[in-house]
Amino acid sequence: MQLRDYIIRRLMVLPILILGVSIVVFTLTRVGGSPIGIYLSHEMTPEEVLKIEERFGLDKPVLVQYIQWLKGIVSGDFGWSGVASAPVAEVFPIKLAATLELATAAGLVALFLGITLGTFAGARRNRFPDHLTRIVAVSGASLPQFWFGILLLIIFWAQLGIAPIGRSDATIFASISHPTGLYTIDAILAGSIRALWDAIWHLILPALTLGYGATAIIARMMRSALVEELQQDYVDAARAKGLAEKLVIKRHARRNALVPTITVIGLTFGFLLQGTITIEIIYRWPGIGRWMADSVLRGDQATLMTYVLFTSVLFLLVNLIVDVIYANLDRRVTLGK
Amino acid sequence: MNFKYFIKYLSYGFFAGAIALSPVTVFGQVKNPGLLVHAADDEPTTLDPAQVEPGEGGETIILQVYDRLLDIGPASAALIPSLAVEIPSLSNGGISEDGLTYTFKLRAGVTFHDGTSLTADDVKYSWDRAMEMNLPEGNAGALSDVIASTEIIDDLTFRVNLSEPSASFLNSTVVSMVASVVSQDAVEANGGVKVETPNRFMAGNMVGTGPYKFVVWNRNENLQLEVNESYWGDNAKLDVRIEIGGDPDVRVLGLRAGEFDTIETDPSFIADLEGADGVTIYTGGLLLEPLHIGFNLNIPKGSLPDGDTISEDFFHDPRIRQAFNHAFDYQAFLNGPLAGYGAFNPHYTPIGIFGHDADAPVYSEKNYAEAERLFREAGVWDEGFAVSVITEEGNLFALMCLVLKDSIERLNPNFRINVLAVAESVFDDAHAQNPLEYAMWAKNADPAADPNFYMQAYQHPDGEWGEVHGFANGYRDAAKVGELIDSAATELDPAKRSAIYRELQTILYDDPMWLIGAQEGVVMAHRDWLKGFAMQPLWPRPSLKFSFFDK
Repeated sequence: MQLRDYIIRRLMVLPILILGVSIVVFTLTRVGGSPIGIYLSHEMTPEEVLKIEERFGLDKPVLVQYIQWLKGIVSGDFGWSGVASAPVAEVFPIKLAATLELATAAGLVALFLGITLGTFAGARRNRFPDHLTRIVAVSGASLPQFWFGILLLIIFWAQLGIAPIGRSDATIFASISHPTGLYTIDAILAGSIRALWDAIWHLILPALTLGYGATAIIARMMRSALVEELQQDYVDAARAKGLAEKLVIKRHARRNALVPTITVIGLTFGFLLQGTITIEIIYRWPGIGRWMADSVLRGDQATLMTYVLFTSVLFLLVNLIVDVIYANLDRRVTLGK
Repeated sequence: MNFKYFIKYLSYGFFAGAIALSPVTVFGQVKNPGLLVHAADDEPTTLDPAQVEPGEGGETIILQVYDRLLDIGPASAALIPSLAVEIPSLSNGGISEDGLTYTFKLRAGVTFHDGTSLTADDVKYSWDRAMEMNLPEGNAGALSDVIASTEIIDDLTFRVNLSEPSASFLNSTVVSMVASVVSQDAVEANGGVKVETPNRFMAGNMVGTGPYKFVVWNRNENLQLEVNESYWGDNAKLDVRIEIGGDPDVRVLGLRAGEFDTIETDPSFIADLEGADGVTIYTGGLLLEPLHIGFNLNIPKGSLPDGDTISEDFFHDPRIRQAFNHAFDYQAFLNGPLAGYGAFNPHYTPIGIFGHDADAPVYSEKNYAEAERLFREAGVWDEGFAVSVITEEGNLFALMCLVLKDSIERLNPNFRINVLAVAESVFDDAHAQNPLEYAMWAKNADPAADPNFYMQAYQHPDGEWGEVHGFANGYRDAAKVGELIDSAATELDPAKRSAIYRELQTILYDDPMWLIGAQEGVVMAHRDWLKGFAMQPLWPRPSLKFSFFDK
């Protein structure tokens, strides 16, 4: 089968898969109970509760509710978020952008620190700097994020006052437009150095906290890979040629050690996205993690269903892309069988 | 210099610059001059006066941005003029002899934040709008329950005709957030008025006449207000940013760091703030939201949770309700979960509002001997019982239930209280059922500025909870309780009205329909640099008006 035909066939199956996912998401969410609770207040009379049920279509049979929900999704209406007090469709992209920005920044921190520390330790195997780096790396993986986050907050925000909290200075944030929702990118697009600085400044502590945990994984992987590479014959050959040890590591061993490390880096991004929930709560970061945590606790089903549906569809799309890339890279893979 | 070293030194320079340019704290120096930063506990659900629920976070914002005809000043419970230039009374002709007509003379020259002028038409429009929309989550009943019609006499004169005389009309209806005056032009330009349908524009935007203009609401993040320079009264001094939600520990840290000027907290955080440099803890008042546990006298047959052994008519016997009230360890609740900040109010008149009788009998001490006597008389002492109490998890209500459990189970090992602490949405769902499928539940009362609200909602046999809980099944003299509450509601002579409430407080002590754990104390912390700090429990929580503040 031609690659083009394969993609078309997969794309045609995609809506059926999404429909299946939507049924599963809706059913599982409803198993947890009616979504009415988030819209109620504790002093409502039964008559008032009925009116609220009518407003949200919750007085109808479950099948009708599902069809209405599906129709809403097709028309871009994902329901009303009781937690955000706004339509889910309006808030979701804003929160998602804030979380992606934080996870990306944390990923960059982890990448920079992980590779640097891993190289540093691998090149000094079983010497004091190696042990020290191991302690740093292990502590990054073992320190609870909420504890480490609060600790940094106490020192740099509350005590020293040199780091901010939240995502932005409200005035500076309001001074530029936000076409992408990513504050750093929007600041660059607006040509505002002040806004860019504000965005970076607010990212530092949460990105450091979140990235530190992932740093450990990357650093350990990088160290092991480098140690292994340094025992290879080509390294001995390079040394025999009289190349300086620094150059042997940087030009030869490190480059090869990066190959297995990159696989780990890819997996780390998923870990970072999960980790944003704690970080967003501690640093008052207005992202999707904090929103979801509140939604779970308060039973905001419209928001939860949107999130689960979004991640499921994303997974399906990523799966499709991966399959296509695989087929393209490895000619032994046969399409459509 | 090669590129590698250039990058290295550039990054050194970057970090050095970052430190140098960062907002370094000089201890003691006022932070964020010109701006009040208030860290709030929760997010508003709406900013529309016609939609907001009493006691909900949106009322905090409505109080600052909208005006009402009358207001309550910071120093006492007395009413003060706001958009009306005087308080209607019998002597100034503002109230008719029969008590059915109220006439308000409006302030001239008042403009809305959109530039339009305030007239009597706007007031009529605002009140009629709330009543016509009649949103189930809102408080339209505060208007529609007493108002027969509204009239425009002239541009600056507004008249209200009541369906029956109401002693609480000015104190509870006119000052309530649902009676806020909105810009007619703004509403009509953005969706108008539809019956039982929220106005999405008004839920997220505000056009009022108050000392603050609405700027922006970033959901789950912050809400910003700016000073209304064209305000008819004294201008506010500080712009406002309300930081929404987040971890309560972070709010405490932020106050200590000076990043927040005021925070909403609860007594459990007092220990973290006591002795902190530059922080003042205000504990000068009581919230008007008594913490209570309700007794259900209207339990459907076979509906109680598994494990409950009581009969459906268990709480019909006043001796059992009294015994629960005597057995509760009030001092343990006050000194434990409430950290000593609170008091005990009679059934059902909170301390601080009209009609509260300081000499009325109050349940404030555990009295095991009396509780045992009553339980024995009621015939449940030897056999024992198990009963569940449902509440929200992780807050004072749940702690109150645990104190009840401890108190009752210590009194008699045959007694068992099962505390069902559930998520807020689950509780709200269960709590809204009629009939209620639990024998007891714990929460707090909605706040109000007049005793009639509490009596109607929480004590009247035909009132909101009287009907759901079946109070008529249990009062020794339900007719008398109902008559007294009704007569106090329409009695315009304050002395006579006060006497009726005094009598009610004694009757309800002997025939309690609730267990009132405590009237929670106000706990508010703010920076020392904040000038003009004032709290008024009769304002919506957190009982602050930002326009008084300066720093």
